[in-house]
Amino acid sequence: MQNLIFGLISGSILAIAAVGFSMIRQTEGFINIAHGQMLTVGAFVGFLLVSDAGMNVFVAGLVAMLVVGVLGVVLARVVFDPVAGKGALAQLFTSIGLAYVLYGLVRVIFGAKVQFFPNLFGRRFDFASFNITVGELVIIGLAGVSTAALHLFLTRTRTGTWIRATASNPELARLRGIPVERVSRAVWFVASALAGMAGVMLGVIGNVNSELGWTQILMVLAAAVLGGLGSIYGVLAAGLLLGLVMDLSALVIPSTWRLVVAFVALVAVLVFRPQGLFVRAGRKEAA
Amino acid sequence: MTGILLFFVGVLTLAGVYAIFAMILNLEAGWAGMWDLGLVGSVAVGSYTYSILTQTKFDDVTFAPELPIWMGMIGAALAAGIFALIIGLPSLRVRGEYFLITTLAFAEVVHQIAVNAKPLTRGTVGFSELARPFETVVGGTANRIVLLATVWVGVGLMYLLMRRLAHSPYGRLLRGFRDNDPVARSLGKATNRHRIQTYVLVGALYGLTAPMYLWYLRSATPSLFKADITFVTWTALVIGGIASKKGPVLGAVVLLVLTESVSLVQGSADLAVLLASSRFVVLGLLLILVMRFRPNGLVEERAAFAGASGRGGG
Repeated sequence: MQNLIFGLISGSILAIAAVGFSMIRQTEGFINIAHGQMLTVGAFVGFLLVSDAGMNVFVAGLVAMLVVGVLGVVLARVVFDPVAGKGALAQLFTSIGLAYVLYGLVRVIFGAKVQFFPNLFGRRFDFASFNITVGELVIIGLAGVSTAALHLFLTRTRTGTWIRATASNPELARLRGIPVERVSRAVWFVASALAGMAGVMLGVIGNVNSELGWTQILMVLAAAVLGGLGSIYGVLAAGLLLGLVMDLSALVIPSTWRLVVAFVALVAVLVFRPQGLFVRAGRKEAA
Repeated sequence: MTGILLFFVGVLTLAGVYAIFAMILNLEAGWAGMWDLGLVGSVAVGSYTYSILTQTKFDDVTFAPELPIWMGMIGAALAAGIFALIIGLPSLRVRGEYFLITTLAFAEVVHQIAVNAKPLTRGTVGFSELARPFETVVGGTANRIVLLATVWVGVGLMYLLMRRLAHSPYGRLLRGFRDNDPVARSLGKATNRHRIQTYVLVGALYGLTAPMYLWYLRSATPSLFKADITFVTWTALVIGGIASKKGPVLGAVVLLVLTESVSLVQGSADLAVLLASSRFVVLGLLLILVMRFRPNGLVEERAAFAGASGRGGG
C-alpha cells in the first residue's frame, strides 16, 4: 500500500513533466532533451526562494513555474527558432547542447552539492498499512488540478484549440490562419512552467541536485514513448503508470533496479505495441 | 617532461579514443542512418568484459581468468557484438525517434546492471589500476607517449577500414537505404538484415576499441559510462561532419582540445570545480553554434564523396 502511494506521487510528477515534453514534441516536432534541465532549474529556483528568501513553498513553486516558463520562451526564441526547419538532427542536437549549457551553468552557480528543502510535509496521517503526509497529498492533488486545468486550457480556450490544431497538422494550421508563432510561444511557456513545477515537487519529496534533469529526462522519454508520442492524454496516463510500476516493482525486486524495470517495460511495449499503449489505431488527433 | 606537454599528450590520447568512437558512430548513424543514443552501452559492455577478463588485482570477483590484453580485446568485441544482437533485434523493429529512445534506455539498463551486479562488476567501486599495453617495456611517464602512439595507430587503422567500407558496394548500399529504404528493397536488398548485421558489426567495433578508453583512464567504474560518452561522441561527429570520412577525426580533435583546455587554467580547488562544470557549457555551446551556423559540420558528405564514387555528388 505504501508503495502504491509512492508510485502515485512519482507517477503524478512524471506525468506533469512528460506532458510538457510531449506538447513540445508535437507542435515543434523534435525531441527536446533540454526539457529535463528545465526541471533542474525549477527545483533550484524553488529551493533558493524557500531556503534563502524564506518564501512559502507554494508561492515559491508558483514563482519558479513563472521563471522557468519565461526562460523556456526566451530559450525557444534565442536558441531553437534559428534552427527551425534545418532538420530533426539540428534541432535534436541543439537541444542536447542546450541541456549541457544549462547543466553546466546550474553546477557553476549552485555547485554539485545535494540539497534538501526544509521539511514541509506537515502532519502525517497514519493508517493501518500506510501513512501519508499533507505535503504528499498536496502533490497528488496539485497534479490532478493541473491536469484538469491543462485539459480545460486545451479544449476550452482559443489558444488551446490552436495548440491542438497545430499539433495535429502544422501546415494546415498555418494555412487556416492560426498564428503559429503565438502558439509556439504558448506551448513553450506552458510546457516549461509544468517542468518547473515538476522540478519543485521532485525537490520537495526528495532532494535538489544537478543530476536531476538527466535522470528525469530518461523517464520522461520512457513515459512519452509508452503513451505514444502522438497523444497528450496517453502520455499523462503513461507517466502515472510508469511511476506506479517502478514503485510497485520494489515489492518484488530490490529498488535499485527500478530504472531497469521501467526500461524493460518500455522495450516490451515498443516491441509489441510500437504505436504506444494509449493510441487508438488510425486516429491521429493530437490531444 | 614538462607538465604542459604531458597534459597535451593526455588530451590527444583521449581525442584519439573519441575519434575512433566517432568513426564507428559515423558508420552506424552517418552512413547506415541508425541514430544510436546508446553507444555508451556497447562501450561499457566491452570495457567491463575486458576488465573482467584481464584484471589481476582483485580476487573478490567470481570470474577472473587473468587473460593477456589481446585476448581481453577479442573477448570485449565478442561480448559487445552479442550484446548488440540482443538489443538490436527489438530496437531495430522501430524507427527514427523510437530507435533513439530505445537505445538510450538500453544504455541506462547497462549502467544499472554495472552498478547492481556486484559479484562480476564490483558495483560502484569498479576496477582500478588496470594494466596498460607495453608497460613492461616502457614504464613510467614515457609510457604515456607509447599509449598516445598506440591509440593513434588505432585511429589510422580505423580510418583505413572506414574509407574502404565507404567506397565498397556495402557502404553504398548503407547510404542507399538510409536515403530511400523502399527503393533499396524494391531492388532486392534485404535492408533489415543489413541493418542488424551493421548494428552487430558496429557493436563489436565499439567493444574492440573500448579497452583503449580504459588504458587512458586506468579504471572502470559505472560513473564513467554515463550518457556523456554518447553525447561527446555525437558532438564530435556532428562538429566534424556527419557521413563524411575525415570529419569524425577532425571533430574529435577540435572538440576535445577545446573542452579539455579549460583545465589548463590553474587555481584553487573551488575554481577547479567551477572549471569542470564550465566544460559542459563549452561542449553545449559548441554544439548549439555548429548546429546553427554549420549544420553539416566542418567536412560535408557531399564534398567527401564528390567524384570518388563515380557519380558526382553522391
